[in-house]
Amino acid sequence: MSAPMYAARCGARRGRIEFMNSVRAGQDIAYYVIFSLALLVVLWLSRDSTVPGTDVSVATFMLPGLLALQVVFAGAFGIATLLATEREDGTLLRLKAIPYGTVGYVAGQLVRVCFEIAFSMVIVLLPAAFFVPNLLSDGFGAALGAVGYLLLGLLAVVPLGFIIGSVFKNPRSVGGWGMLVMVAVVWVSGIFSPLATMATWVQILGQLTPTYWLGLGLRSTLLPEAAVAAEIDGSWRTLMTIAVLTAWAIGGMILAPVLLRRMARRESGSSVAARREKALQRV
Amino acid sequence: MNEQTVAPDIAVRVSDLRMRYGSNDVLHGVSFTIRRGEVLVLLGPNGAGKTTTIEILEGFRLPSAGEVTVLGENPATAGEEWRSRVGVVLQSWRDHARWRVWELLEHLGSFYQPYSTPDRPRPYPTDELIETVGLTEHRGRKVSTLSGGQRRRLDVAIGIVGRPELLFLDEPTAGFDPAARRDFHDLVHSLSDLQDTTILLTTHDLDEAEKLADRILILNHGRIVADGSADELARAVAGSAEVRWMQDGVRQVHSTPDPTGFVRELFAQERVGGDIGSSITDLEVQRPSLESTYLTMVSQAQELAPAQEVVR
Repeated sequence: MSAPMYAARCGARRGRIEFMNSVRAGQDIAYYVIFSLALLVVLWLSRDSTVPGTDVSVATFMLPGLLALQVVFAGAFGIATLLATEREDGTLLRLKAIPYGTVGYVAGQLVRVCFEIAFSMVIVLLPAAFFVPNLLSDGFGAALGAVGYLLLGLLAVVPLGFIIGSVFKNPRSVGGWGMLVMVAVVWVSGIFSPLATMATWVQILGQLTPTYWLGLGLRSTLLPEAAVAAEIDGSWRTLMTIAVLTAWAIGGMILAPVLLRRMARRESGSSVAARREKALQRV
Repeated sequence: MNEQTVAPDIAVRVSDLRMRYGSNDVLHGVSFTIRRGEVLVLLGPNGAGKTTTIEILEGFRLPSAGEVTVLGENPATAGEEWRSRVGVVLQSWRDHARWRVWELLEHLGSFYQPYSTPDRPRPYPTDELIETVGLTEHRGRKVSTLSGGQRRRLDVAIGIVGRPELLFLDEPTAGFDPAARRDFHDLVHSLSDLQDTTILLTTHDLDEAEKLADRILILNHGRIVADGSADELARAVAGSAEVRWMQDGVRQVHSTPDPTGFVRELFAQERVGGDIGSSITDLEVQRPSLESTYLTMVSQAQELAPAQEVVR
């Protein structure tokens, strides 16, 4: 096995350990549970109304979008925050000091985020299965399609997380600006109400986000065929969905390593120490 | 062909190294070499350029000018194979707080596995390493719960987990209690003696420098102001040995560059004086301590290069 491959395998184990550590830490569990509970409450409240022009329950319509949101949240915002934090505390520098440590770090983040997304989806899907109508009415094939879209979506947003995390200087600015961007993305992505019913400029913005396309892809597999009426152009636009998500993934995968390498090159013990000084002064 | 084959016994070669941040010169043409297996201590006041120098050698910082060769390669462009031969202990870390001591060492060590050779098996076995740095009873603890000194010992363990040929230690004993410090000194000696590890260590603890160093380099305001063993440095400061003795009930003190010659003279005069003068008692010859040598050298250098205000 080549050395970088070996490092990626070490990194995969790193991802598993990091996830287990976060499950053991109470605050992370509380965070997952509260976030998932909030989503469940929204679903519960809208279980009886239907999407205008169709007989599809709003809860059923919303669920795929919420799954997309979880992927984007953990993949982009979560990784960006963690990257900025671990740059500040020296984790990144520590891994830079060992052979192919950065490869291991990236592999570890990927594995960790997969575990995290699977975990938070199970928390939402298990209770939701009892009250959201028509969930998985299309059976096993549909579920497999949904998993495919989730993985493609993950590939589209994870590089984005690395890009955001390497551009911002510290975790606090990722938290502030990043949260603002996330809220805007949620609003324009047509998760809570169909994008087709919104203003044209919102539709344009929404179709620029990977969240919208991932949501659309998931709806195409999870919702009954009749629900297509609520979509833009009354179509699932399957090819377009795959093309856009793939474009995001490729673009990110080209840009992310460049930015990561630039960021890692600038890391040194004294720059980590200087940032820490600044962080301590602000507290 | 790399330079290693040209000079196999040289681990580090630095010539005319310069570093400038903006208009601020931090290193003004620093040159030195480290032989393989040598323990070199870089000594100097805060802001002398110690950390900048060590970060350039670690490949974490690009110098403004000068040539640097570390284990036969330029650290700025050296690859991952080179990384596997170099151990790094930075000034302070607070990473991996949630990991357990044993888990973290095992994980970071695993990256060195592909670089294992029969005469240098990598990584260091985790349990053995934990015992070497005295953390056996804390092996299952979370890193965040370790005390400052324990944390530092873990840092050192991580620095040597890949059995490096060259180890960089940036102020490794800051925050150690005296017992931990002595243990650490033993560890450095054993790394250097048993495993033939070349070590570059920075400190501002003179006592530590004297205990560990084969050679000491004093860095002040970005210049090397002294280079030699502790004894050589002490001798280099002229007129500094002190001779004290009692004669006629009076305490005498004389400062001389040649204490042996002076004492010989002193006894000769005593013999000539015969029983007229009383005999010499309580003779004491005191070599200058490294501390006074260091302070003398640093202040001399300051007089030579005044106006320069240097930050790191």
